Parts: sequence; structure tokens; C-alpha cells
Amino acid sequence: MTRLVVMLGLVAAGANGTERPDTFSQYCYGCHSDAIANAGINLERLTSESSVADSFKHWQRVAAALEQHSMPPPGAPAPAEGERREAARWIHESLADYAAKHGGDPGRVTVRRLTSAEYAYTIRDLTGVDLDLGHHFAGDAVGGEGFSSFGDVQFMADANLESYLEVAKLVAEHAVIGSGPLQFGIHPRQSGYELSAIHRIHDLYRQHGFRATAAEGARPFGLDKYGAAFYAAWAYRHRDGDATLGDFARQEGLSQAFVKHVWSVVNREDAPYPVSEAIAMWRALPATGDEQAIRAKCTGIQNFVVDWPRWLFAVGAMAQGGAGDEGALIITDETIVGRSHAPLKFSPRDRGDGLGDLYLSVTQLNPAMSSAPRVVWRNATVRATTRDEQVLPERPLVEILPASEIERIGFGRTDGLGPGDFATVGEARLKVNVPAPEEWEQFTLRVEVEVDLAPDDDSILRVVIGDLENGSRTRAATALLTRPEGRPFARFKSGVLEHVANFPQASHGEPTPADRDPIPAPFDNTYDEPERDLFHFRIKYYRQDDFLVDKMLEDETKVRLDQAWYDLLDSFDYHDEFFVFTANKFGLSLDKKLSELDAGEIAALPDEPRGYAEALRREFDDVQVAQLAAQPGHINDVLAFAARAWRRPLAPGEADLLRRLYNVAREDRSLDHRSAIRAMLTKVLVAPEFLYRLERPELDSGPSQLSSWELASRLSYFLWASAPDEELLHAAASGALEDKSEIAKHVRRMLSDPKARRFATEFFGQWLGFYRFDQHTGVDAKRFPEFSQAVKSAMYDEAVSFFEHIVRERRPLREVFSADYTFLNDALARHYGAEVEAGRETGLVETADRFKRGGVMRLGAILTATSAPLRTSPVKRGDWILRRVLGTPTPPPPPDAGSLPGDEKSFGAMTVREQLEAHRANTACASCHSRIDPLGFALEHYDAVGRWRETYDNGKPVDAASVMAGGTPITGVESMLDYIGSQERQILLNLSEKLLGYALGRTIIASDLPLLDRMVAAGFDATFEELALQVATSRQFRYRRGRDDATPIELADGGTR
Amino acid sequence: MHRRQFLRNSGIALAMPWLESLRAATTEPPTRFGLVYFSNGVEPAHWWAKGSGASMEVGPGLAAMQPLTEHFSFLRGLYNQKAAETSSPHLGAMPNLLSGAEVSLDPAVIRVGKTMDQVLSGRIGGRTEIPSLVLGIEPNELRLEDGVSMIYGSAISWASEVRPATKEIYPARVFDRLVGNDQGRELDRSILDTLLDQAHSLRSQVSHSDRAKLEEYLESIRDIERRIDLATKQDRLEGWRPSLAEPNMERPASELPQEIPEHMRLMLDLIVLAFQMDKTRIATLMLNNDLSQMNFGFLDGVEGALHLDLTHNGRDPELEAMYLRTNQFHVEQFAYLVRRLSEIDEGGKSLLDSSMLIGCSNLFDGDQHQADEMPFLLAGRGGGLRPGQVLDYLSDGDDNRRACSLYLSLMDRMGVRLDRFGDSRRRLDRI
Repeated sequence: MTRLVVMLGLVAAGANGTERPDTFSQYCYGCHSDAIANAGINLERLTSESSVADSFKHWQRVAAALEQHSMPPPGAPAPAEGERREAARWIHESLADYAAKHGGDPGRVTVRRLTSAEYAYTIRDLTGVDLDLGHHFAGDAVGGEGFSSFGDVQFMADANLESYLEVAKLVAEHAVIGSGPLQFGIHPRQSGYELSAIHRIHDLYRQHGFRATAAEGARPFGLDKYGAAFYAAWAYRHRDGDATLGDFARQEGLSQAFVKHVWSVVNREDAPYPVSEAIAMWRALPATGDEQAIRAKCTGIQNFVVDWPRWLFAVGAMAQGGAGDEGALIITDETIVGRSHAPLKFSPRDRGDGLGDLYLSVTQLNPAMSSAPRVVWRNATVRATTRDEQVLPERPLVEILPASEIERIGFGRTDGLGPGDFATVGEARLKVNVPAPEEWEQFTLRVEVEVDLAPDDDSILRVVIGDLENGSRTRAATALLTRPEGRPFARFKSGVLEHVANFPQASHGEPTPADRDPIPAPFDNTYDEPERDLFHFRIKYYRQDDFLVDKMLEDETKVRLDQAWYDLLDSFDYHDEFFVFTANKFGLSLDKKLSELDAGEIAALPDEPRGYAEALRREFDDVQVAQLAAQPGHINDVLAFAARAWRRPLAPGEADLLRRLYNVAREDRSLDHRSAIRAMLTKVLVAPEFLYRLERPELDSGPSQLSSWELASRLSYFLWASAPDEELLHAAASGALEDKSEIAKHVRRMLSDPKARRFATEFFGQWLGFYRFDQHTGVDAKRFPEFSQAVKSAMYDEAVSFFEHIVRERRPLREVFSADYTFLNDALARHYGAEVEAGRETGLVETADRFKRGGVMRLGAILTATSAPLRTSPVKRGDWILRRVLGTPTPPPPPDAGSLPGDEKSFGAMTVREQLEAHRANTACASCHSRIDPLGFALEHYDAVGRWRETYDNGKPVDAASVMAGGTPITGVESMLDYIGSQERQILLNLSEKLLGYALGRTIIASDLPLLDRMVAAGFDATFEELALQVATSRQFRYRRGRDDATPIELADGGTR
Repeated sequence: MHRRQFLRNSGIALAMPWLESLRAATTEPPTRFGLVYFSNGVEPAHWWAKGSGASMEVGPGLAAMQPLTEHFSFLRGLYNQKAAETSSPHLGAMPNLLSGAEVSLDPAVIRVGKTMDQVLSGRIGGRTEIPSLVLGIEPNELRLEDGVSMIYGSAISWASEVRPATKEIYPARVFDRLVGNDQGRELDRSILDTLLDQAHSLRSQVSHSDRAKLEEYLESIRDIERRIDLATKQDRLEGWRPSLAEPNMERPASELPQEIPEHMRLMLDLIVLAFQMDKTRIATLMLNNDLSQMNFGFLDGVEGALHLDLTHNGRDPELEAMYLRTNQFHVEQFAYLVRRLSEIDEGGKSLLDSSMLIGCSNLFDGDQHQADEMPFLLAGRGGGLRPGQVLDYLSDGDDNRRACSLYLSLMDRMGVRLDRFGDSRRRLDRI
């Protein structure tokens, strides 16, 4: 009833009961009536409307026209000055009166469907995976204040829904459904399952393990865990207070298990060589001392434990920092071989200045021995290959060495030596230069070494030939010369094995053994043999991470690693393949797969294969059990996923419906667990709760406050174009968002987040017209071949990065126009004629004024988007400034306005300016073009693809000067920017309207005026955050109308709540 | 009644039209309706025709139609009153091409009118697997034009007053729809079923206008369900056996074609395929959006964008010549469709003989935004059309030259009789 009275009141009277003046019907109807509505203004209709609010923007234009004396036009009868003022006052007061009564009205907001950008962002945030969903949607449109977030332009038809269904299935294909919790992988389906498992294993190994080297291209990592563990053990030993070993482990970022392991080793009393050496070094650490110094010493111990085995075998790591030898260092009972004599064969890797330099050495490994046994080097020969790939006959080394070398080395000098033999005594270092002629590509030195040991001599001699003093660029030739059957060597060998068991070279084998990695027993591990190749090809994976699991991982990590391995071995018929391989090895012919054999059949296998078969079968069963055990968890995971996707807790009935779908899929459709889970996920992503941002107001009542969940969604789609994150959901759950200061806290947090870049893309992009500029097609490629895709993308990046900076770095709003920085990569810098370092990625460049950049008006994307394909368009640019920046567009041109020729080159004698000036001579055109053109002319120094120019293609100089309609001279881009700077209020009003329209998904209504006033009052020095805060805490944003009849509800408090 | 049961029943009720038509099984080829639209009008001086039938002579703008004079009529003077009266020279006169409705220029309200192809689609679309095809070359333009949504300039087919029909611009996706098999979608059916169950309860919780949006969603689900259900039935929907059972063209590449002529050609081929396989009988194709900046550099001697440079050419002779080339190019596309259909035999008659094809723009003189008449070509003998005429309605009085009268006449021929449509209550004479 009250409402009705107000409505009737407004027909007859405006504010404070003032009667509407007759001015409008007297002076305006002639050109602005039902019969003819020039510039789209129909005062006959406006004055018949029940409220000035219905068409408030038109009324505002009428008021402005009256106040600025732009209407009635010259020559037409005009109201007296007082009458003019009175009419304008009536409009303002009526609007103010209305706004006071209705301020904060949420307005009519149509439910919003996710835009295609929002959909993609949301999927990305939900799954953690960046999927390319691009071309599945083409259905976006723009409406309201100019944004795709306007519900009335978000349509749905069966074709759209089919697309949603298709994409939802695609996303569901990326679900990794294995023995762990549900997650998403970057690759779909079965191969994605396999790759996800490999990546998870790899990540866990990387994070928790270490590796010295080996495998092609592999780099050492994680070795500092040794040093840190020695340090933790030291700190624990010399602790004061009651800190535990675990405390020190945590401090070092190590697992307790690993530090415990190291602690137990360094506290051993009977450790053999070389572990004993490491223990001695650790125990020699001073009890107190500078932390850095202690740490350095711990690193020394680390180097010793890692390097010693490498040194023993003279593998590349010693000499080349791990890069020299790609073969894995395999240290087993079989590879540590002691002999009394051995053949050695060595080839330097490649030709260089030092091709001929070889280093021969003998080192005593038994610390207990001080004897100096003689090593005889017999029958040294050289076989060379020439550059044209001829193999030359093998020749004794002695034949090719110069006499002085033969003398120095002592060939044939000692008793019992042939002319091609020589000898060394005790520890020895000998450099031999083989004179390698230029035509040699490669050569091989062969020599037999043998040791003469006295009966009581327990020497263990390490004999090495390499091409470096301390090793080799490639694998050195080595031998251990000793009495192999003696106890001292057996002790030595077990000491080495103990060392590598305590301090292994790697905590694990790679999940996908590389070409040179060893394959497990009983298979032939010889490089390049068919069995080995076939193993790599058929079985691919082999788990060797006992040290990591037993000595390093915490329980929770072990579980995750096991799950990843179960998934990997489950991703194809691994165990069946492995079993076939094993069966072939032992010559068994079986017509059943491992998975089909029962216990009895396995027990009936011959001894040796049975052991392998049982182990495989055990692992296979473990995998199956783990997969099955995880299934109920997956269903709950989908329910949790649904709650995040639907942006609120599930109602019990909704969870039941999802579960029911699982059962229907399994039972009625006879699908497996994974397909049923995928069906659930598909449903979650096609449900209206996901696709639409549904809000459930109190129906049939006035505006009601949004629920915390609804508000969280509004905030996150406003600022991130995506679903709320955990923090926001948490705030919603706790009811914290009831509190405006809590909302403000989140707005600040969200605008600093990297996801705020999306806001720059979505809001500023659509407002200012660089949205999807990376797909801009409005440039003629033949005319501007230099406008490449790289330049286009860089311009887009420049624009988005600029606004991201303004928002996230809390820059004052005036910098949108006056900034003297911009964002360039090298392609764009070249395009602009600026200098940055080559290969530079997009980043901030200061003092951009040097090359005529800085601020939105001089962004390449804007300058290009406001040009025609072949030329600049001062009209488009001027219109862009009036419409997009100032929000004061001119009315559309009359239908028969005509236009300029398309190509600058066809202008003939006239410049664009001359043509436009001719155009403006026509008074019908002048009233608008005198406003548009000067702003556009100011940018004439920028060509159609945004580059600075001094002249046109026809050689005429660019003239950017002109005079604005009000008489203000504009001399170029600088003075145009000055003019823009003076339009603070108008620009802020326009920005505020756009921002509010974007946030609310509707057009501006008269009751928004008080809020807009508050936003405008923030001024150019305010940050964007301040405007966003005004919006996010406004009543419009936090409330929703219950019924959406067009009549607004009068609010008791005027909307200030 | 259980709700699901109710929905099933209503689904059957909605499928009634084709059940009726089953009874009236026929071996006569059905009548097809196709429309090719190009934006930004024509160069009036070059847009004319005189004479009739084989001796008809056409102006340079429609040179490509000269060999086809026996197959089409030249219509002069048709107009939409609301388009002629609007204050918005582009968007006020374009989305209403096929409805004659007024375009809402209020930024807060998107509203035009349901278009005649979508009326047909709703009434008789159920007779084929796909009710209608709505195709385009350019995506929806994401901006406002003079404060009004460019969705207006991006859609000539409107499924309702407030919703454009979904326009497909990807040839591959059109192809997939044509050959796609809706059999074997039992799981989809189950998913959609539970979605309906769930969405139903939402209705009572959202506001009135949101309920309308939700209804769009629910209707979309029901449409898909209906299609899945139909696909499981083995019978043909009607007695007509198409002359082509499997596609005779390859699936186009998944991406958008790089070259515009190739893109248009593919879309036209897909219309031919759809008609020949009787997948649908109703198709519209927008060669460009209104205000299109389509770059015609691919035509010899043409440079620049359609709207800004070529349509509004400042009467520069060189540019006018280029504009003419774009007109000719557009008409070549229409001529291609006409010729292809004329070459397909459907039991003694060509497919063109059973088709009614329109080639048109919504403006006459593009440079002047002239909406008080529109260039129309009407091809084919479907529904008894008599091609080969030059029909000038300009001097017949406004009431006798309404485009909506043509639409009423064409809809009659597809078996959809309305008393009135748009601004008209009459049928168009002489066609």
C-alpha cells in the first residue's frame, strides 16, 4: 500500500512534493517525443513514467543538457535561465529523493551461469590441473554494463548442455582413481593413470630421497641430506637440554628415521674400513664451534661417504661432478673382484689436445699394509681407428713411443720382463703420452697387469688407467690386484658392501629404469643384450627403494609412495608381463596368466621360478587389495569434490542422489568402479549447482541477506572469476562473513593473490575492450606482417599485466592513465622501438615515457583494437575514450552518416584529419564529432598497430593537435592525458558503474546512486581495492531480492545498513 | 504420480507430432527450408533483375545467380516495420530479420522475438533427429554496441523472445551432430535422470525469473533425453527414405578453418549433407555477424574490413568496387548452395525442387543503413514455389510488402499455419 502511494506521488510530483515543471513538454517534445526521439531521448515517454528512477540515465542526460546549455539547440526556443535551473533541480532532487528511499536495493539479478572463462578457471582450481577446454564453448555473450557475467545473456540450450556434458566427461577422464584418494592428473584415462603414478613416485623420490648420479642425463640431488644428518647427529651428541634426535631431525628438515640411521652408524664401535673412516671424521668434530665451520666439516664427511665408492671404481663423478659417467655404479659381491692379474683396456673418450695423455696409477687399499709390491704391466699395445674409420693393426706401445719415453718408463728393464713390459713398485703415478697422429680418431690401450706378492703380503692394490689424473672422462679401466682368496680381501669386500649399505649412492632406483640402469636378477643385466632391452620395453618399471622406505620415509609418506606404486603396477598388466618374462627365462611353458594361477599351481612350479612367482603374486595381490580398499574413499572424495564444486555443503539428499548414481552405474549399467566414479564426477560438473551460481533468497519477501556460502561465491567470482578457495569456504562455514570487516579482510587478501590477474583479464579486459585481444583478427596481415602472433600475444600480456599490477600492487587509480611504466617482452619492445635485453619475458619496464608508453591510453592492445584493419581511426579512438573511459558516449550517428575510406593510402591528397574536418563542417555531424575527434587525433602518432610515427605513409607529418568542443586545446597525447586527468569525477563514476555492474551482474539502477557517490568520493589517489571494498560490503552485493517484480521495495533505513 | 513417470509421459506427449505424421507416411520428399544471411546490405546500383525465367537478366551484385535464373525469384521491397522504425541503425534492424519483432534497446532487457525458423523447428523439428541447424562463421561478439549487447548482432535465429538459438561455428561439431549416434548413451541417460531429479527440487527455492533460467536448463536436459530415447527406436521417423544414409564428406578438422571461404564452403556442404540425409529440414547460416569486420583480403583486389572500410566506403569508386566484390562473394555462397541442391536427385526430383531457400541481408543500401527494404532471393520449388520471377512489391503498399508475410507463406508450405506472425496477418502474393 505504501508503495502504491509513493508511485502515485511520483507521477504528480518529484522531490519534496515539487510539481514537475512544464519545461519538458514546452521546449523538448518537438524533438524528443513518441513521434521522434532524437538521440534516443523521448521526454514524452519519460514524463509519463511512474518514477524518474525507471529511466534515470536518460533523466541524467536531460539534466546535463540543460545545465550545459547544449539543449535546446541554437535557434530553437529555449527556457529562461531560471526555468532551466529549476527543471534541472527537479530532476536531481527527484533522483536524490528516490535514492534516499531505495538506496542499497539489490535490484533484479538474473541467476548467473559460469562464463566460459569462469568455467575454465573453476575447473582449474578444483582439479589443480590446467586443461585446455577452450574451443568446447562458443556461447559467451555480453550484456548489462558490458560484461559476460550478465545473467540475461547466458543462455542454455541442448547444444550447450551437450557441450557441458562432453567437457565434464573430459574432466572426469582426468580423475586418477587408484589406491589413494581421488585426484586429477594432467593426462586423461589409462595413460594418465600411469603417468600420474610415475609423477607422484618421482616427486616423492625427489623430495625425500637422494641420488649421486647415474642414468642418462641424471643429475645428483638430495645428497646434502647426508651432511645435514651428520650435523643433526653432532648437534644431538653435544646437546644441552632435553632435545631429542627427532627435534634435531625436524630442525634440519630431515625425517627422524634417516637421522636415527646415521646416528646408529656413527655410534658403531666395530665398523670396518671405509665406514670406519667416516665415523672417525665425525667423531673428530669439535664439541663446540662455529656452526658454519661444523657444517662445512659435515659436508666433508658427506663427500667422503658418497665419493669413496666412486673413487674406488674411478667412475666419472669424481672428476666430472657426476656428469662424466652415465652408467650406474653397481657395487655388489659380483662387481668387487680381486685378482692377482687382470687385463686392462682403456680408450680415451675423444680426440682433443690431450688425446694421447694417459694416467696409470697404483694405490694401496689395505690400511694395514706398508709393503711396496711390484706391479708388472705386460705387453702394452695400441690399436687405433682413423678418421676415415679404418682400424689400424695393433702395435706394441713400445714401438710408437719415443726413445726418451721408453727410457723414462723403463720398458724391459727389470728381470723377467719382455721388451713390451714395464713395472711399477708400490703406490705409483705414471703419466704416459701416446703420440697420437692427427689422423687417429680414437685408440685403445691394452695391457695385462699382475702383482708379485710375498707370501705374507696382504696388499690390495687399486690399479687404474684413465685420461685424467684422478679418474677419467669416460669409464676408467680398473682392477683390484690382491690375493683374492685371502681373508684380508674378504674383509675389505664386506667393508665396502657395508659402506654402500649404510651410505648408498642413491636412496632408490628410478621408477622407470633408464637405459643404463640395472635390471633385477635373475635377468641378464648386460648392456644392450636382448633380455635387458626386452625387460625395459615390456616391464618398464621396477621398484628398488628399500633404503628410502626403511631408513628415510615417515609413515604417512610411505603410504603415499605405496599407493603411487600400486597405481603404477596396476596401470597395465605388469605382473602378468613380468611373470611371462620370468617363465621364459626358466623355460616354463604356461597357458595361464599369473593372475589366474591359484596357490596350488604356483606351489607346483620348479623351485627357482616359484620364488619369483610367489613374490610377484604377493605384490599383485597387494595391489588388488589396495585398489579395492580405496573404493569407498573415492565415493566420499567425490562428495567432497561436489561440495567444493557446488560451493557449499551438500544437503543429505544430494549426497544420496550422487551415491545412487554410483549404484545405478555399477548395478544397472554393469560398469566398473572407475566408470561409476567418473559418472558421479560428470554429474557434479553438469549439475545446475555447478553451472549456475544459484542463490536461494527468502521468497515472497523483501530483499534478504545472502547466505555465507552465497556471499563467498559472489566474492570469489567477483575477484577471481572462480570458486571460493579453502580459506573463503572456511570463513563461510564459521559465519565470519556476516561481518563486514571480515569481508574486507578477504577482499584485501584476494586482490593481492596471483589469481587477481584473472580480475584484470575479465573486468578490465571487458570494460576497456582488450578482452581476448590475443585472438584479435582486426588487423590486415598483408599490410602489417610485422604484427605477428608473438607481438599480438605480448600486447595482450602487456595490458593484462598492467592492470594486474595496478590491482595487486595497490597503485593509485590515477596511474591507470598516468603510469610511466609498462610491461614488455623483447618482441613487443622491438615492436615499440624500445630496448630491453634479448629473450626477456614480459615484465615491468620503468620510465616507459622514453619510448612513448605508459598508462592505458598507450597500450598497444588498445591502440590496435581501436584502429581499422588498414589505418588508424581517430573516431574509433575518440569514441573509445568517451564511451569506455569517460562513460559519456555521443549518440549513434544518423543512419545515413557515411564514412571515411578504409585505407590511409587511398586518401589521395586529404589526410584523415582533413576528411574529418570536412565532415565536421556539416553541423549535424559537428555536435558529436567536435567531442570525439580531438581525443582521437591526440593519438594519431600511434599507427594502426600501436607504433609511434612522425609521418603518415604518404609522407605527410602527423598533426595531433586540435581543439575540444568547449574550446580546450589538445596538442597531443600529453595534453590529452592532462585533460583526462582533469576528468577525475566522471572517470571514477564510469569505473564505479562498470565495477558495480560487473560485480552484480546487472545494469546500474537509480538506487545505486548513493553507493556510486561514495565510490567516486574515494578519488584518483585511492587504490582499486578501496572501490572493490565499497562494492563487496555494499547492501546490493550482500542481499538479494526475494521476488523480482519490477517495483523496488522502499527500505526503512534507506539502504545504509 | 511419480515425478519421473510424469516426465516420461510428457516426453511422449511432446513427441506426438511425428507419431501423427507416421500415420501419414509418404514417399514424397519433405520440404526443406534454408536461409543464408549476409550482413551490411548491398550496393543498390548493382542489385537488380529484370525479365523472367531463362531470359532473366541480373545486376552485377548477383552475377553468380545468372546461370540459375530458372531456379530463383528476385524479391524487391520486402521490409520489417519495426526495423524501419528503430533508432538503432544496426542492432535495432538485424536480430528481428526473421521475426519482425521490436528489438529491446534497454541494456537491462534482452528481448526480440522468436524467429520463423525456430517456430518451424518447434512445430515440426521433431520429425527429424535434429530439429534445426543454426550455423554461423563468426563467434558472438563480446562487447556492447551503443550500450546494447552485441548478442543481437550475432544471432539471426531466436529460440524464444529472450534467447537466441545456439549458433554453431565449428564445422567439425556440426558434422559430429549430423553423424553422431545417440545410441549407447544409457549412462548419459542415467546421469541426466538424476540431474532432473535434483534440479526439480531447486525450482521452488529460486526466484521467479531464475526459475525461467532453470527451465531453460531443464528443457535442455529433456531435449537430450528425448533424442537418446528416439535413437534407441529403430524405425525411421517418417516414411521418407533419404537418398543418402552415410555422410559423403569427410569429417572437417576440429579447429576453426583458417580461411573464410573454406569455412563458409564447409558450412554450406554440411547443410546439403543434413538435408540429403534428412537429419534436419530447417537450417540458417550467418555468413557474417552484423557490424562484421570480416577481412576480405582473400578476394583479389579487395582490402579491408567489411563494415568500417567497405560498406561505409565514402563513395570512393575503388572502395565501392571492393564492396561490390563482397556482395558478389556472398551471393556466390548462396548460388553454391542452390547449385549443389539442384544436382542431388531425390527420386526424379532434385533436392532443390523440395527446398525453399532464402539468400538475404537485413539492409538494402548498407552504407545508408537502409532498413525500409531488404534484398531477398528466394530459390527452389519446395512447397510449390514458382521460381524464375522478378517480383517488385515496392509499389504495392506497405501492408503488402511485409517480410513476415513471406514467412507466413513459407511456413504454410512446411505445414505450419499461423494466423499472424510479426507485423503481418497476410500471405505474400505471387511467390
